[in-house]
Amino acid sequence: MIKDRISLRFIFALLVTGFSIYLVFLLNTDGAPRILLNLLTFAGIYGLSAIGLNIHFGWTGLLNFGHASFMGIGAYVTLLLMPHAAGREGVITTTGLPFVAALILGIIAAALFGLLLGLPAIRLRGDYLAIVTIAAAEIFRLLVRDLESITGGVYGIINYTENFQQYRPSFIDDISDNFGFSPAQAWVCLAAWVSILLTVLFLKRLSKSPWGRALRAVREDEDAVRAMGKNAVWLKLQSFMLGAGIAGLSGVLLAFNYGSLESTVFVPLLTFYVWAIMILGGVGTITGPIFGSIIFWVIISETDRLAYILFENANGQQLAGVRFLLVGVLIMFLMIFRPSGLLGKKEELLLDVK
Amino acid sequence: MLDQLGNGLLLGIIISVASVALSLLYGVTRIVNFAHGEIIALGAIMTLFFSSPVDYRVLFLDKFSPLGLNFAISCFLAILVCGLFGGLLEVFLFKPLRKKEVGNIAVLVVTIGLSVLVRHLYLLFATGRVQNFPLELQRRQTYLFFDMTPRNLKVLIAGIIVMIIVGLLLTYTRLGKAMRAVRDSEELSSVSGINSDNIILLTWVSSSMLAGLAGIFQATINDVRWNMGFLILLLIFAGTVLGGIGTSFGAMVGGLMIGILVQVSVGLPFMEGHAEAKNAVALGIMILILLFRPQGIFGKKERIS
Amino acid sequence: MLSDLVFVKDLKKSFGGLKAVDIKELYFKEGQLTSIIGPNGAGKTTFFDLISGFQNADSGEILLKENNISSSQPYKIARMGMVRTFQLTKVFDRMTVMENLLFSGSNINNDSFLRSIIKSNSQKSYENNLKEKANEIMEDLNISHMADSYARELSGGQKKLLELARAIINNPEILLLDEPLAGVNPKLAEDILTLIKKLSENGITIIMVEHNIEAVMKISERIIVLAEGSLIADGNPNQIRNDKNVIEAYLGKADE
Repeated sequence: MIKDRISLRFIFALLVTGFSIYLVFLLNTDGAPRILLNLLTFAGIYGLSAIGLNIHFGWTGLLNFGHASFMGIGAYVTLLLMPHAAGREGVITTTGLPFVAALILGIIAAALFGLLLGLPAIRLRGDYLAIVTIAAAEIFRLLVRDLESITGGVYGIINYTENFQQYRPSFIDDISDNFGFSPAQAWVCLAAWVSILLTVLFLKRLSKSPWGRALRAVREDEDAVRAMGKNAVWLKLQSFMLGAGIAGLSGVLLAFNYGSLESTVFVPLLTFYVWAIMILGGVGTITGPIFGSIIFWVIISETDRLAYILFENANGQQLAGVRFLLVGVLIMFLMIFRPSGLLGKKEELLLDVK
Repeated sequence: MLDQLGNGLLLGIIISVASVALSLLYGVTRIVNFAHGEIIALGAIMTLFFSSPVDYRVLFLDKFSPLGLNFAISCFLAILVCGLFGGLLEVFLFKPLRKKEVGNIAVLVVTIGLSVLVRHLYLLFATGRVQNFPLELQRRQTYLFFDMTPRNLKVLIAGIIVMIIVGLLLTYTRLGKAMRAVRDSEELSSVSGINSDNIILLTWVSSSMLAGLAGIFQATINDVRWNMGFLILLLIFAGTVLGGIGTSFGAMVGGLMIGILVQVSVGLPFMEGHAEAKNAVALGIMILILLFRPQGIFGKKERIS
Repeated sequence: MLSDLVFVKDLKKSFGGLKAVDIKELYFKEGQLTSIIGPNGAGKTTFFDLISGFQNADSGEILLKENNISSSQPYKIARMGMVRTFQLTKVFDRMTVMENLLFSGSNINNDSFLRSIIKSNSQKSYENNLKEKANEIMEDLNISHMADSYARELSGGQKKLLELARAIINNPEILLLDEPLAGVNPKLAEDILTLIKKLSENGITIIMVEHNIEAVMKISERIIVLAEGSLIADGNPNQIRNDKNVIEAYLGKADE
């Protein structure tokens, strides 16, 4: 019986997502493919990040409000390990690891950062972790900004995209020519969605395994878990690291989507975006974030129009203001009226936990 | 170093006032209000709006003109507005949520969403520019050990006085006792005739007014920014954690210490040229404290997991 | 050869000035079935919490197989062979009965993250063995038909059985049962009592907190009586039945 309910919800989610994509075509008479690709790329990257956050909040009930810093660690570590140029002077580093090696190290670094943050806070009450993660994200932002010699600070890092684009197959170039969008972005888009696919498969397998079972038990009753001889805190830490690693991967993809990276990218607003997406898609479901992400990005990009209407000649700041205002409203609205989002099940939610 | 001590005391007293406000709210409602920073900012922004000269165009689409009122009156009105805002939040948002028995985690996320929403309303209303109260510039003078402007000294003294008054009110008045009763048990207190809804409303109003005051202080010694609430919120958390969550006294002391730590750290050798990152030092200390002594200096060692 | 499995010395715990537990000396021998009784508020559950690591004593020593576990974490104590159940059952509502059992019986190596990714054959056969064991236990307790139901669908009595089953599947050396008969209908209580007796005969050391005096008298080898946190009597059922202090402590208290 539960299976039927899932299918129904799933179909509904598919319909809503399909409709929103159709909306994009409707509202943008020219350049629709280009806009759509852009949207799908961001949706893929943020969707992946939200999947990671969902492991924290949906699977384990952990409050992480510094998610952007996990993405950032993944991005910066990976980029710095490859040939790149950084800083105001554009200091060039020609040596480095091959892309895949750097990527793996970046993901591991993000997971380790998760361990670092989790150690003091996970054994404590939920709100402590929230505070620690926000604080850590702020420390990360400040360090990235000030350690200019390493991270390039506000001038950032450039000249790294070739490390990944060199692997781009020619059929991507052909399709891109056909539809009129950027082949570089198409490649990143493909990578993002392939990553999502692999991650989802991995997580589905994991959730049915003994480890997944143990994590679910922790979510149910930590004391009982301890009475059975298992270390609940360590299990939570592991799930924290897993989600962090996934976020790290999404951070790298984001960096390659932008083509240049500097200290204003991985900021708290990013974290709030991912939270909104996760709640919208359905807390606790593996695929929920995917739908949430697509719909979210349609909403965001189309409501930019709203800003233009409100303020004739809206400047960048006002645009951003309206955007984020809506994100705030969305988060509040969902949490109050529909915390299970699109795909989530109300019974699965941990929200009554203190 | 001594230089920074003066700045540290100033920042410290501001964080103290704001921390006590947050701690008060948390103590009675058990809500960690992430939108607290925005109430602080509201105090500053409202004062700016009330007191700026009538021809000063800085606000929403140039369509609103400031009221050009006397500064002291502006502060007073702004604090009232903050109290009103807090009251409205309780009546229209948090009380319904409480009645619906929404869990604490959900409420926490709601406050975060609220803070994002309100903060960007400020961005639209007051723009991203750094602005200042319409007060003349003053010279720093030497008082005892520190150099600071006469106005800042007034802020410091006012802050201390407010702290003392709040402390006395909480400990000795019937209201204060009622607040503490509701904190300890909502059911029990309603049985003993205390209307917990009213107490909670009162707590929201007074916490918001205190927060607004802290915002005015902060804007007086620094400036008014749309995201000033968010910037100070982290330091408030640090102060509260350091002093001990749930104890007002702890919040006071913790806030003071964090303020001093932040400013003093600017003088440390490795901070050379990175003065902006002074906040990071305070935050790092907070994380360390959570590692070794999560209940803070004055908190009780409750089962915090 | 009987030996001291658990030894408690000068154990004290207060809550804000109120004394909860104050025990000078207490030991539990291997293989015995001991019941702890006492009027409400006597400190029985607090005592359990203290020796199983869920609360820290203010002072005193707790030794398990000669290891000092006074400040040990609950999961470590459980790994050392002392498993407990809870007064208000803590079954995993959103998992099936079988999953509840599989989780409890699975050792930490099997649960490891790496193993779960690799899904080796040894993990598969371990899980199969575990499933068999779970089936056996469910049969013994007559809950096989609920194997695939979610634990939240179980009746109160069935939840108690599940709680017990989860504790047993761990092969504990020492079983701490916190009110195993509370809120259970008389027929089921009989069955649970028979099961507990059987476990004791199989060599498991059992320490049980119970309010049902009749049941306690029936199966216990030894009875400890706590009142206001302190030990007031310690002996076999006959001794306890006639003990003046015990009768006084219970005066005015209705029997369960």
